[in-house]
Amino acid sequence: MRLSDKIMILSLIFIFTASVSLAADIKIGVAEALTGPIAKYGVPIKNGFTLAVEEINAAGGINGNKIKLIIEDEQGKKEEAINVFKKFIFRDKVLAIFGPTLSNSAFAADPVANAGRTVVFGTSNTAEGITAIGPYVFRNSVAEADILPRVVSIAKKKLGIKKVAIMYGNDDSFTKSGYDVFKKAVEAENLQVVATETFSKGDIDFSAQITKIKGLNPDAIICSALVEEAANIILQARKLGIPASIHFIGGNGFNSSKLSEIAGKAAEGAISGSPWFLDDTNKKNQSFVKAYRKKFSSDPDQFAAQAYDALYIMAEAIKKVKFTGDLEKDRTSLRDELAKVKNFSGVGGKFSFNENRDAEQKGRVLIVKDKKFTIFSE
Amino acid sequence: MEKFQRGKGNGLTDLITSFWQTYNTLIYTIFVHGMLALSIYITLACGQLSLGNAAFMGIGAYTSALLTMKMNAPFGLSLIAGGMMPAAVALIIGIPTLRLSGVYLAMATLGFGEVVRVAFLNMSITGGSLGLNGVPLKTELWHLVLVIGIFIYFFIRLRDSRFGRILEAINEDEVVASVMGIKTTYFKVWAFTIGAFIAGVAGGLNAHFTFFISPREYGFEPAVDILTFAILGGTRTLWGPLAGSTVLTTLPELFRFLGPYRLAVNGLILLLVVLYLPNGIVSKETFKNIKKIFNGSGCLN
Amino acid sequence: MFLQQIANALALGSVYALFAIGFTLIFGVLEVITLAHGAVFMVGAFAGLIAVTRFNLGIIPAILTSMLASGLLGFIIDFVAVRPLRKKKYHHLAPMIATIGCATIITSISQGIFGAEAYRFPFDFVPTKSYEIGDIQLTLLQLVIIGISFSLMIMLILLLKRTKWGKAVRAVAENRRTAALLGIPVERVFQITSFTSSALGGAAGVLTGLNFNAIHTYMGGPILHRGIAVIILGGMGDIRGAMAGGLILGFSEIMSVAYISSDFRDAISFGLLFLILLIRPSGIFGKVPERKG
Repeated sequence: MRLSDKIMILSLIFIFTASVSLAADIKIGVAEALTGPIAKYGVPIKNGFTLAVEEINAAGGINGNKIKLIIEDEQGKKEEAINVFKKFIFRDKVLAIFGPTLSNSAFAADPVANAGRTVVFGTSNTAEGITAIGPYVFRNSVAEADILPRVVSIAKKKLGIKKVAIMYGNDDSFTKSGYDVFKKAVEAENLQVVATETFSKGDIDFSAQITKIKGLNPDAIICSALVEEAANIILQARKLGIPASIHFIGGNGFNSSKLSEIAGKAAEGAISGSPWFLDDTNKKNQSFVKAYRKKFSSDPDQFAAQAYDALYIMAEAIKKVKFTGDLEKDRTSLRDELAKVKNFSGVGGKFSFNENRDAEQKGRVLIVKDKKFTIFSE
Repeated sequence: MEKFQRGKGNGLTDLITSFWQTYNTLIYTIFVHGMLALSIYITLACGQLSLGNAAFMGIGAYTSALLTMKMNAPFGLSLIAGGMMPAAVALIIGIPTLRLSGVYLAMATLGFGEVVRVAFLNMSITGGSLGLNGVPLKTELWHLVLVIGIFIYFFIRLRDSRFGRILEAINEDEVVASVMGIKTTYFKVWAFTIGAFIAGVAGGLNAHFTFFISPREYGFEPAVDILTFAILGGTRTLWGPLAGSTVLTTLPELFRFLGPYRLAVNGLILLLVVLYLPNGIVSKETFKNIKKIFNGSGCLN
Repeated sequence: MFLQQIANALALGSVYALFAIGFTLIFGVLEVITLAHGAVFMVGAFAGLIAVTRFNLGIIPAILTSMLASGLLGFIIDFVAVRPLRKKKYHHLAPMIATIGCATIITSISQGIFGAEAYRFPFDFVPTKSYEIGDIQLTLLQLVIIGISFSLMIMLILLLKRTKWGKAVRAVAENRRTAALLGIPVERVFQITSFTSSALGGAAGVLTGLNFNAIHTYMGGPILHRGIAVIILGGMGDIRGAMAGGLILGFSEIMSVAYISSDFRDAISFGLLFLILLIRPSGIFGKVPERKG
């Protein structure tokens, strides 16, 4: 090796180490749908992250290092999600990635992160099999599989339900996953299903399904839908004469202040289940809701709350990582630390990762009363 | 000097490696979109407008993905099957459908596409709305280059063949062509079927580098996108659709820095191109403008 | 039950028809499939919403405001994106692609302004009342939707049939060159048509926003898709066809949910479209197809 070669290499090493040691920022990529039809879910998620990061950085960062979020729009499309993930991993050289918004995009993009040995943390992916993609894939999205069966069982006990009708959006993986869980739960509880009706994204009218259901006289209607659809289904059902004594039971989609905002009085008595709800009185949640309202002048929804918690969970793991300056090693030790997170207390209560890097969190059964979700059963 | 060059070369290699790592999916997507644009070009070449190509792509994607996942079929075989399956479907629906022309054909194929999408949603083998997850990574750059090379070669040979001239004659005037004794429906069905084959292969290639496929990727909007590739690029020669798909695939990535208004700029560029080059990017006007610039008169005159 | 479903189908179908009637009118006169009609529909819904929430207007003035706003938007789209392509010899699909560009710009900017959230009209803007006629429960809202849709459509038909302007429009739709020779200001007719059609699209937006209380920037997509089906079904460019097509789609959607299966609703509707085209290639009311874009 000639002298000039050595100088070149040394100077490259110098520049490299200098840039590493100077940049005390911890870079984390956020890939969410910020434009397009999915943006109504992606934007609150982004808000949850930015709020948490501002708080952490204002309090001095993690061991003195500030967190820097690199936020990119993935439009809810799988190719875009893959492109953004690759940009994060290879060009921006982030430590870890949050996102993407949809389970569909996660199935396409998470394998990229896993192959690149970079942690990917989903906060809104509920479909089955997401974390099975690989050891670098985590999520804190509420495992509907745990809570929904309890919702059904408690509703059955408390309200004496024997016959149910089910409605769900069959062209969406979020609502279809919810339906699959409900279906199993209903079978386990020996409830009679009088009708199973579907609808699609963009439907504006549910009167046909509702009229059909009305004729079959169920004791309750189970509805796996996103909040806009859910609220309008309830609204149209009440207008078409389904009485308030017939409760609507729903999944994650229900858990938003939009439900009462859109459906008004009609939403009274709607039942859902989740570890988090807007008016939960735990201290962390109250300060989160207050800060969120102040910053974004709207109510946070479950997606925002999960994103907010996810960032704090990540911060807790980063705190324990011993940075070596070698990005690959650091990414792997972050993975190992993240997997160890147990009994983290966030806005949604106590949280741990189970052995499959899925959420282990106690859900509560909720009911709408005076336009607010309150606890129906702990 | 020599070593300096080498040092720089290493830096360059790093740069290329990181560029490739970051953008390889984008580049793969450009190839796939190029094939889709060609798949609609052949029907446009005989004056037929098909909006069924997204559905054909979907049939190809599901066929080939299921073959590799469930039967462990070799990639080449599942790709060919991914082309043959939609081609067979096109043959069956093409015979009654292609009696229609112009916008009516477009709408019939749109209806067909919707039926296919709902079928994907309700079959158990396709995984319904949850889609197929865990499609193995098989597609490599050389596959894409080879396949699109074959298609381009085919189209170049087609241009000077009897079949190509017949398609052109049908495009010029279908009535005259049929008076001259050409069985127009026969040739239109062939063009439609070849288009379906190309779209199916493109779907198969796409499925094997994106890990996941679901029905919503093959609906109405992708169908319109494919048409846009071809029209924006120009439909006079086969290079038009390729240019159109490349431009439209690259733009969103280039404008990433624009944030929330990135789509608006995309739309604006689409609008401007159509207004100033209504016959597409690769068209006589473009060449005229380029000539003008080189002749020094400037395109402003 | 059956009668109730008929009432439901009538309400849904009338919105589809109102949306499609403007869509088909533009095609009939300008020979352009304007894929910006969904974006115009969305802007109409927002204009109506603003008229109600900011300016406390009642339902009729709100719909008129919305029609004015979306009509102007339609006029601008025609002026910017379609008019320049009328003069040149162009690919017959170029104007359609130009309208796709417009739609993207409009929705993207709207999302920049209104955000990704969904909005709704105030509660009891249309009072929650229903009337029972025998077994059928007709909500006031359903009556309002059916009433307004049909009056607008009938007004359009009367305009086209009875007025001088209507005759000019029909003449241009028949043959624009002959119309120009007869001294009809063809360009003016195009502009008025764009305005009127888009105004009807905007009214459909408000009615949809009343029935489905989630007004957001991407609400135009699904109805555009259905609108295309409707105008094909009825025969491209045919006003009565669009009305019939809208009602048929409404009935087919509602009845397939009611008596077959909601899983296959869209497949049935679009399969029906496919079949009708095979039997009557030019739609139910369509003439023998010419080569139109």
